[in-house]
Amino acid sequence: MQSAVRERDAPRCITTRRYFLQGAAAAAAMSRLSSARAAETISFGLTPVFLDSDVELLAMLEKYLTRQLGQPVQLVKRRTYQEITAMLLSGQLDAAWICDDPYVQYEDKLALLAVPLYHNRPLYQTYIVVHESVKAQSFDEIRGTIHAFSDPDSTSGYLITRYLLALRNTTPAAFFKDSFFTYGHRNVVRAVASGLGQSGSIDGYVWDVMSEREPELIKRTRIVYRSEWLGFPPVVGLQTARDTSISKAFAAALLGMSADSLGREILSVLALDGFTSATPDLYESTMEKWRVVKAQV
Amino acid sequence: MSLLRRTASWPLTLKVPLLVAALVVAVAAVISQVVLSRLAQDQEANLRLLTNAYLDGISAAALPAVGRADVWEAFDALDRARSQYAGVEARYAIIALPNSTVLAASDPLRFPVQSTIPSDLQQHFPAADGLAIDSELGRAWLSRTLRQGDSSVGRILAEIDIADLLRVRHQVLMTLILVNGALAVAFALIGYFALKRMVQPLGVLTRYVENVRDGRVEAIPDQHGRRLSSEFKHLFDRFNSMARALNERETLASHLAEQERYAMLGKLASGMAHEVNNPLGGMLNAIDTIQAHGDDPAVLQKSLEFLKRGLAGIRNVVRAALVTHKGGSNASVLTPGDLDDLPFLVQHETGVRHLTLDWRNRIVEPVAIEGPAVRQIALNLLLNACTASPLRGRVFAEAASDDRALRIVVADEGQGLPAELARMLEEPAAIVAPPEGMSGLGLWTCVRLVKRLGGNIRVIRPATGTEIVVTIPFATEERLHAVA
Repeated sequence: MQSAVRERDAPRCITTRRYFLQGAAAAAAMSRLSSARAAETISFGLTPVFLDSDVELLAMLEKYLTRQLGQPVQLVKRRTYQEITAMLLSGQLDAAWICDDPYVQYEDKLALLAVPLYHNRPLYQTYIVVHESVKAQSFDEIRGTIHAFSDPDSTSGYLITRYLLALRNTTPAAFFKDSFFTYGHRNVVRAVASGLGQSGSIDGYVWDVMSEREPELIKRTRIVYRSEWLGFPPVVGLQTARDTSISKAFAAALLGMSADSLGREILSVLALDGFTSATPDLYESTMEKWRVVKAQV
Repeated sequence: MSLLRRTASWPLTLKVPLLVAALVVAVAAVISQVVLSRLAQDQEANLRLLTNAYLDGISAAALPAVGRADVWEAFDALDRARSQYAGVEARYAIIALPNSTVLAASDPLRFPVQSTIPSDLQQHFPAADGLAIDSELGRAWLSRTLRQGDSSVGRILAEIDIADLLRVRHQVLMTLILVNGALAVAFALIGYFALKRMVQPLGVLTRYVENVRDGRVEAIPDQHGRRLSSEFKHLFDRFNSMARALNERETLASHLAEQERYAMLGKLASGMAHEVNNPLGGMLNAIDTIQAHGDDPAVLQKSLEFLKRGLAGIRNVVRAALVTHKGGSNASVLTPGDLDDLPFLVQHETGVRHLTLDWRNRIVEPVAIEGPAVRQIALNLLLNACTASPLRGRVFAEAASDDRALRIVVADEGQGLPAELARMLEEPAAIVAPPEGMSGLGLWTCVRLVKRLGGNIRVIRPATGTEIVVTIPFATEERLHAVA
């Protein structure tokens, strides 16, 4: 299992990136294709960066975007961040809500369309949590536990922990007794709350929202580490398509969500305050950590 | 055996319902066993189906994850299966790798990732794929090998709580016990009342048969014959026929007794004539003497005294015969005088056989007892003793009383009373007519009278002869009235 994690460590991200760099040549063509299909269905990729398990929420979001864009919008979900990122970079998606980790990896290929506001700020934290029975009080004390990661391309669910380990010149395989990926922040909570993993890396925003909505699950976990504030996972499009009407309309729909009743309803379910526009320097901190990790491998 | 003997004497109204209840319980026990056995089989079959579906579901969901040794996916498959399979209450489920370590378990705290499955737990699971049930523990253990191609990549192990199934069995058992118990009690009660009603005529019959034993032979009235089953109707008819026959025999016996009295009187009269005739010659001689020598005062006085004695003897004999025939002045009381003259009545018998009669009448005051009947009893016994005695023998007779009863003892030196007659005297219950071949009716009359007076007769066999002891209780007011 640890070997499986190693395979999914940073080298895999690089491999993934290489794969998409190879496809970069087709980016311009994809952009043209994207702008040429104004009347076609717009594809919006989603990752478990938010609470994506609510079917009603997805229906509302699809309805809202369709109405705002004046075109049918199809929400596309995949199990891993990698799949969504690949689809976006290959032009199969017009936009995607991805984690900040893939964004910093492909910053040159991706354009920021909008960034969610959580507590009126486009920021969030990574939490390292432990099962209630684990006595650890700090990150260093979770050594030797079985650790639950979210996704290899998740900042909060993998990169930050990997970064903390890199600072200690160690790796997950050496630091933890074992580790595994759950491919969802909520799953990390489930894994740690059940005891399957004694510790876990999770998006602080997800943990906070779950603590209100699923307190029975959350109360079996305890936070031992909170990261610095990081740029919230953004909604991005291809850099080559940033000036297309679809991209602009998409950004406008998200930025105007708080002004719309259905949009406010969606934001309420998401426990967000709205969306804002942002510049790449919001993710400077994430970028720095990615570089540290990349340097280690 | 002693229990069997004891139960054999129980009344039918108890035995039959108990037997019915026992049969119901026995049948119920067999049926319950069959039902429970079938229920257990069905439950096991259902459990196998459910657990197979459960394992199939987990296998399909977890197999790819097991192949990749994906902890989360394996756990997720187990966790989701927890609430998806109604009827399968998994206490825990484990996905084990071929080296018997835990890949994931539904209860990770108990079975942590990478831990080895405890050997004491492993022994519960069937070695081959399948289901092992322990009804006592209320648990079932499932095992399913996960294969990719021909290779085993792991096993699913699960412990199922089958307490609900066992509870259902227990409830069914309790229901069977309650229902069958209630049925057994109901059948027993119905049987008891039905049988009690059915055998009610037997009680009536028994009562009337008891009356026969007490000497009262009555036909069963028609009111008891209504709504009788044909068997009892036939039985009642037969009993009534028998009662009528017995009554006829009783009537006949009464006639016979009456005739016996007359016969005895005839016999007494014959003896009396003899007793009268004997002094008559002497008396006539005395008259002749008076006529011839009446002038002589001494002769006259002597002859007159002789005549007086002779006439007194005749008067005694005649009076005794009259009393015997007509009865005393007060039939409900026995006076000493009622028995004093008995020797006169048997003097002919004693005279002919040259017997010595030792007669002791110890009754000193009247007693509440039917005098004429006692007199006849004593006379018959005396006559019988005289008849049975050898020539020049001795006959002993005594009449005495205490606070409660009169006792008459008559003993002779004869050959001894035949056993059949002795039994007739001592056990008069069933005797309503003289035994066949009986020459006279004297003893039989005695038996009837003693029975009527509520007394009893005891026969003693000394070395020589026979001693008969008759005990007759003094009559109460009611009995006197009834006898009168």
